[in-house]
Amino acid sequence: MLFQIAAISLKEFKILIKDLEALALLFAMPVFFILVMSFALEGVFETGTANHPIEILLVNLDKGPMAKQISKDLETVKGLRVIAEIDGRALTRHRAEALVRERSSPMAILFEHDFTESIERFLVSSKADLPRVFLTIDPATNRQLLAPVQAAVGAFVERRIAIARQIHQIKERFSEWGNEADAFMPSQAVLSEPFSPAVDLAILSPAGTASDIRPSATEQNVPGYTIFGVFFIVLPLAAGFMRERHDGTFQRILAAPISKWTLLVGKLLPYYIINLVQIGLMFTVGAFVFGMHFGTLYGLVPISLALAACANGLGLMVAALGRTEAQIGALGVFFAVVLSALGGIMVPTFVMPQVMKTLSQLTPHSWALSGYHDVMLRGLGFADVWEETAILSGFAALFFLIALWRFRFSA
Amino acid sequence: MTGPMIFVKGLKKAYGPSVVVHGLHFQVERGECFGLLGPNGAGKTTTIGMISGLIPPSAGVVQIDGISLSAHPREAKVNLGLVPQEFALYPALTAMDNLVFFGRLYGLWGRSLSDRAAYVLKAVCLDDRAHMTVSTYSNGMKRRLNLAVGMLHDPAVMVLDEPTVGIDAHSRHAIMNSLKDLIRSGKTLLYCTHHLWEAEALCSRVAIMDSGRIIAMDTPRQLILEHGTGLIHVDLEHPVHGHLLETLDRKGAIRRLSERFTGFQFQSPRPNVDLERVLKMAGECRTAVRSAQLLEPTLETVFLNLTGRSVRD
Repeated sequence: MLFQIAAISLKEFKILIKDLEALALLFAMPVFFILVMSFALEGVFETGTANHPIEILLVNLDKGPMAKQISKDLETVKGLRVIAEIDGRALTRHRAEALVRERSSPMAILFEHDFTESIERFLVSSKADLPRVFLTIDPATNRQLLAPVQAAVGAFVERRIAIARQIHQIKERFSEWGNEADAFMPSQAVLSEPFSPAVDLAILSPAGTASDIRPSATEQNVPGYTIFGVFFIVLPLAAGFMRERHDGTFQRILAAPISKWTLLVGKLLPYYIINLVQIGLMFTVGAFVFGMHFGTLYGLVPISLALAACANGLGLMVAALGRTEAQIGALGVFFAVVLSALGGIMVPTFVMPQVMKTLSQLTPHSWALSGYHDVMLRGLGFADVWEETAILSGFAALFFLIALWRFRFSA
Repeated sequence: MTGPMIFVKGLKKAYGPSVVVHGLHFQVERGECFGLLGPNGAGKTTTIGMISGLIPPSAGVVQIDGISLSAHPREAKVNLGLVPQEFALYPALTAMDNLVFFGRLYGLWGRSLSDRAAYVLKAVCLDDRAHMTVSTYSNGMKRRLNLAVGMLHDPAVMVLDEPTVGIDAHSRHAIMNSLKDLIRSGKTLLYCTHHLWEAEALCSRVAIMDSGRIIAMDTPRQLILEHGTGLIHVDLEHPVHGHLLETLDRKGAIRRLSERFTGFQFQSPRPNVDLERVLKMAGECRTAVRSAQLLEPTLETVFLNLTGRSVRD
């Protein structure tokens, strides 16, 4: 039986090698995606860091000192770059809106001419309107990007108002002292100094995970597009069965004294090996071209073995369900592309609505990605990824069962 | 073992309510070439598929050299060499690669495999093309290689489904010679074809199938004696004139007739007499005859007689 499995596998390899273009495509496609998407999405993953700060426009029409002080405060924030002037001229509302509209900048902050006055009114009368800051935003701006900017602006404005309130209260308390009360006031020089961060927010990973690794665009994309590429094996695998049926060679194999298992194992083994080579190659490209962290090998191996089994199972299922080449093509593309999108390969699941997040859990892609991220980004090992491995193996078993149920072992 | 090489009893295949093979019963003796004849759709390929273990029968028994195909498929298949109607070859691989692959499925390995592959390639006159990819082969060469693959593991029984379809005279000749060699060497052949002259040349017995049933089974000679009639083929200058056919029919000059655009053919137990009558009647009907041909009784006329249509219809 082993001889027969080896014979079928060798034949399959020979045929695959004859079609080098198709084989090259199988390897080139995920590499291409990894390169393009890593470079293209570098901004998304790096934006907000000191190297790639978020640029925000600031239009200061305030006649008082408050907006200017808040502007200085914002300039101290790492990951933000405040642009209040262009070509040596202060930004106007009109210009800032035009820049946002043209998508040159994601957002603009506007302080009205009575901003300082509005704060003072608010301090003396609780019935006065709240001081208002305007944020002009490109509707396409990523909400994830917007949230920290909103938080920073809000925090600095509130902090300035809090200090102004304290000064106002001190002045009221010591009003009978006349000018002597000024002795208790902080000097104007001190008040106009920009705030330095009042607290150091140290970001830590949970205990048991590697704390010093932050995901780069590559570390997000390499596992993602590797999974994407691995599932593309569905197409040549299923088409291979269809071709055998069409050419009549399947009949001849069925007429030979071999078992169904010999036939299936012999047919699938080359594709399984190709999948593993694909995974190895993609991760090697990630490591050598982009300096990607691998994580632990004994964590990656079980996920990879289960992932390849899953892709092969899916391929066999498509071969069993498809009755024509067109059906196989459509089913193959559906499973390879649509499940990838749903599984968080193309769009991270954290930006998906809840219902889509739930649906993504029904795809093997999502679990494979989660497993790889656990190993690569969270530094976890085999003991911690057994759940993902088991679920992937479960998917593989399900696909194989459906395939065996529907597969036609007859001419 | 002394029993029949192929034993078929009550073999039936139904797809839902549609029965395509109705309870066949026949056996093929050792060293016999047995022909399974019939037009397209007669159920020949389905029958061969069931005998080769490719199609599960709905009912019935198939034994190869006394081994039940359903109970012991692997043991039974070892004795069986299939030459399917399709080329059943990997076009991307060379002839030798194809043979090596299929040989390994039958447990051949190493020197015995390469010797056997070289032998069958020589037997079908392809030994000088062994290392060419099959995609560069002509149809005739593919047919010959198809036969070589079936012969590769030296099976006691060979099942051949239309092995000469769509090929040139040279390849047909090479295949016929190879088959005669196989018969001489004592192999058992189940030969499925609609080229009836091939069956006459090769088969010691034939079964004629129509609509999933065997309607006659005997030696070709005996079938011709029992059911064969002479065949008269008449070509006219102009399209067939209805009046002439009606006259022929009315005066009892024809028994079974097939009509074509500018001609017709009919069977006659007394062809010489009837040919004269037809020519005379054509003259009376003022129909110009371009040619008239008188054919000896053959399996073709046997088939026409039994089924009322030509095997190629």
